[in-house]
Amino acid sequence: MSDEKKSCCSNETGEPTATRSAAPMWIIVVTLALLFTGGLFLDSHGGWFDKNVYAPYQSSAQLESFQPKSGAAAAMARGKSVYEGVCGICHNSDGTGKPGQAPALASSEWVTAKGINRLAHIPLAGVTGAIRVGGKDWNLNMAAMGAALPDEDVAAVLTYIRTSWGNKAEAVTADDVKKVRSEIGKSPQPYTGEQLKAMPE
Amino acid sequence: MNSAENNSVCPNEIDASCRVPLLVLFGGAALWLVLGLALGIVAMLSFHKPDMFADCPFLTFGHAQAAANDLLLYGFAIPAALGVTLWIFARLSQAKLALPIVPVVAANLWHVGVLVGTISILLGFSTGHPWLEYPRGASVLLFAAFMLIAVSAVATMGFRLNRELYPSHWFLFAALLWFVWSYGTANLFLVCNHPPRGVVQAVIGWWLTNNLIFVWLALAGVGIAFYFLPKIAGKPLASSGYALFGFLTLVFFGTWVGIPQGAPVPAWLPTVSAFGALLSVIPVFALGILARKTVWGAKVPCFGGPFCFIRFGMLSFVAANLLYISEFCPRASRVLDFTWFNAGVTQWQLLGFAGMILCGAIYEILPRVMARELPFAKLAKLNFFLFAGGTLLFVIPLLIGGVEQGMKLRDSNIPFADASAVALKFLRISTTGQLLVLLGALCLLLNIFVMTLQWKLGLLKTVVVVVKDSLVEGSAYQPLPCDKSACATLQRDEEVKP
Amino acid sequence: MKTGFCVFLAAFVALGASWLGLVFGPLKQLGVATETKILQSDDKWPVQRTGDATLGLQVYRANGCAACHTEQIRQTGAANELSLVNLGVHQAADLKDFIASLLGTMPELMNFSNAVAGNLAGWDGKLPKVIYSGADDTVISLLGDKLKAVGVKTEARVVATGADIARMGWGVRQSVAADYLYDQPVQLGSLRAGPDLANIGVRSPDLNWQLQHLYAPKSITPNSSMPAFRYLFTVRAKVGGQSSPDALVLPKEFMPAGNLEVVPTAEAKQLAAYLVSLKNNAPLYEAPFTPITAAK
Repeated sequence: MSDEKKSCCSNETGEPTATRSAAPMWIIVVTLALLFTGGLFLDSHGGWFDKNVYAPYQSSAQLESFQPKSGAAAAMARGKSVYEGVCGICHNSDGTGKPGQAPALASSEWVTAKGINRLAHIPLAGVTGAIRVGGKDWNLNMAAMGAALPDEDVAAVLTYIRTSWGNKAEAVTADDVKKVRSEIGKSPQPYTGEQLKAMPE
Repeated sequence: MNSAENNSVCPNEIDASCRVPLLVLFGGAALWLVLGLALGIVAMLSFHKPDMFADCPFLTFGHAQAAANDLLLYGFAIPAALGVTLWIFARLSQAKLALPIVPVVAANLWHVGVLVGTISILLGFSTGHPWLEYPRGASVLLFAAFMLIAVSAVATMGFRLNRELYPSHWFLFAALLWFVWSYGTANLFLVCNHPPRGVVQAVIGWWLTNNLIFVWLALAGVGIAFYFLPKIAGKPLASSGYALFGFLTLVFFGTWVGIPQGAPVPAWLPTVSAFGALLSVIPVFALGILARKTVWGAKVPCFGGPFCFIRFGMLSFVAANLLYISEFCPRASRVLDFTWFNAGVTQWQLLGFAGMILCGAIYEILPRVMARELPFAKLAKLNFFLFAGGTLLFVIPLLIGGVEQGMKLRDSNIPFADASAVALKFLRISTTGQLLVLLGALCLLLNIFVMTLQWKLGLLKTVVVVVKDSLVEGSAYQPLPCDKSACATLQRDEEVKP
Repeated sequence: MKTGFCVFLAAFVALGASWLGLVFGPLKQLGVATETKILQSDDKWPVQRTGDATLGLQVYRANGCAACHTEQIRQTGAANELSLVNLGVHQAADLKDFIASLLGTMPELMNFSNAVAGNLAGWDGKLPKVIYSGADDTVISLLGDKLKAVGVKTEARVVATGADIARMGWGVRQSVAADYLYDQPVQLGSLRAGPDLANIGVRSPDLNWQLQHLYAPKSITPNSSMPAFRYLFTVRAKVGGQSSPDALVLPKEFMPAGNLEVVPTAEAKQLAAYLVSLKNNAPLYEAPFTPITAAK
């Protein structure tokens, strides 16, 4: 029982101290390099904080490209690509038309009409002369831009313009287009505005 | 306790002021360590003999493993670290522990909380969130107890004579805030009546797990190591600027790690964690290098003493945390996720790093605080070898088995049962390691228990003698008056004895 | 750092930043989620669980099943696939030449000629045949249209790929946040000592199978390391020599001897109902795939 007889400081060193010196430069450089590399990684794999982008998808555009395209979605995608390739050059990719070139399709009564008969004749045969679109008078020529396209593509692009840019109208099927095409026959002349108005809707 | 004192308080008075709080904290911690390891072994028995607990719900793997893990963290690591923190703060302040009754009450509250929590898990009332399984009553007790101990620690730190902070102050003080905020937030959101819907619960759980197992243990363990390594080696800490760099990079980058790479959450969350993990390599290396520089060239014979514990702990800090960080590399996570690798790394962090450092600190502190030698000094040295060998034997088969399991899981032609069976033979070796660690923990428990008993018997004898000789002056059991001039000599007789 | 306040500030800012980023951010982004729609359908996702299944989740939690099982499927890739389904009037050999000529002449397809040619090399004419599987979706529609024009029927599909998905029945796409909307608490799991359960309701939809597996896993998988959960069942005497309708039908080695039967407790039934409700087979916007509509 000699514990109590121990001197109070028999086995005591002082409290530890720290040498004043700075961190080495190399580790700071490595830290900055890792920060940069990590930043690049965050940029490429982070999906930019989008709540729908899950790994392995790396961006919302990439996720969009993997959405299954069938049925209505496929038709819209097809219609859009046909429009941009064929019609958008004159009618503008947002459907607002170009003055002196082509009337607007957005909010056009020809596009959103309940029946598709008049509308379908336009790309299949073309338009010439005076025509009133959305309160404005136009007097230009449009070639039969859709004459060479298959029925599905014409249907898709008509559906696309009828449902985009605020337009709300029913879709056009390939059969509708086929019917109109058979009525027109081969190598039709472009229609005038009055002829179109005279047709059933 | 008066900061207006001009003279520093003699170390043995500081130690004596810490005696009761530390005994409650360390004693409970050692007990929970033994129980946690034992429950962990019971849990693994379900793999060696699957139908062992077919009729007993309390000890199935699902119950026992969760209880064991929580016992290791909340039962052992946190109270032990708090006890060491109180003592280190008191010593660095060169003042007695402030408000000494507060940690005693708090420590008892803490242990009650751990007891209630453990029994709840075994009975099936766990919350279902990993590392947060204690139901609300127990977690409130833990939170309150921690706050109380933190108050006492901060007060002690506030009363320091030398106003300049030593690096250990930063780490341990930050650790106090860290637990309060992380544990409080996680419980507030998850263990309540209206938790958020859906996978956010898992995100908050992962945030908490990382902040406790990686950052908190690192802050506490490194803070404690940076106190003892220079003290025992007799050299100053190699560089305070380096320590500051390590501290700042640890707190700023380390806390972002945690979201697993394959998690069912938007891509930005795992990417941010991978970014944090990449950057966390810096503090792991920096603090490891600093520790190495501090002890390099020090002639300290080891033979299983506290210095060995703490050195092993710092080596484990670097190794285990590098492996932890590697789990967050997207390519590696495809193989390592959902395997025994994660379990192995966590146990290495808990036992190999935090456990070793805390044990070494306890063995260093206890003789001072109790003013007597360890009753079983040889067992204390055996403890080191049991812990070191046992931890490696426990952890490394889990790591290897996990990698094998992960590689087999990647190949969809291998049936699942075969892929998971590949880990079973590794688990056998691993459980043997666990047994060794348990034996080491028993050495610790025995030392603390017998020391407490001796002290209590001594107190009893003092009371008896004082009652008998109440009129006699100069009773044999009064403590010696302190001779401050004798404190100037440096002596380390504990380590010299082989 | 000189003062305690500086340390406090550094720790506060550091932890505050990660709290904002990893707790508050996800709370605002994911914690306010509501039901979502299944892709190309008006059905809601996730499907509300029955009462028994909701209680079963609590049994799952209480027994710590998440300690050995995960409920999350990972995905490491996605592919747009174009397959030939019906060759019409053509033969395999001349179709190969036709496709090769398309690849050579169309500028949009030139980048993919190696991929497609590689798929067609060594094709013995068996259908269906995947001729392109990759990230690009425009080549699918281009090639598909051209083939359609010559009377070949093709099918375009989006498939999710990954080691988890390759395991039959484990899932057809990754788990996403929407799958866990009604889980309280979410039991994602972190160890696969046992197989993943995200799609177990599709893999093993029979309640009796689930109950048998809980009572005696070895009766279904002889080398299973899953413990038997006999405490979820009651072994009792047959009433009047007849088995009750609830009684488990087990192989002889696992049936209790004598006039005894094994009846699941309420907890076992709830747990089985929960397991059967775990499904991961609906395409969502954030986890798209083309469902296989034809019967297996």
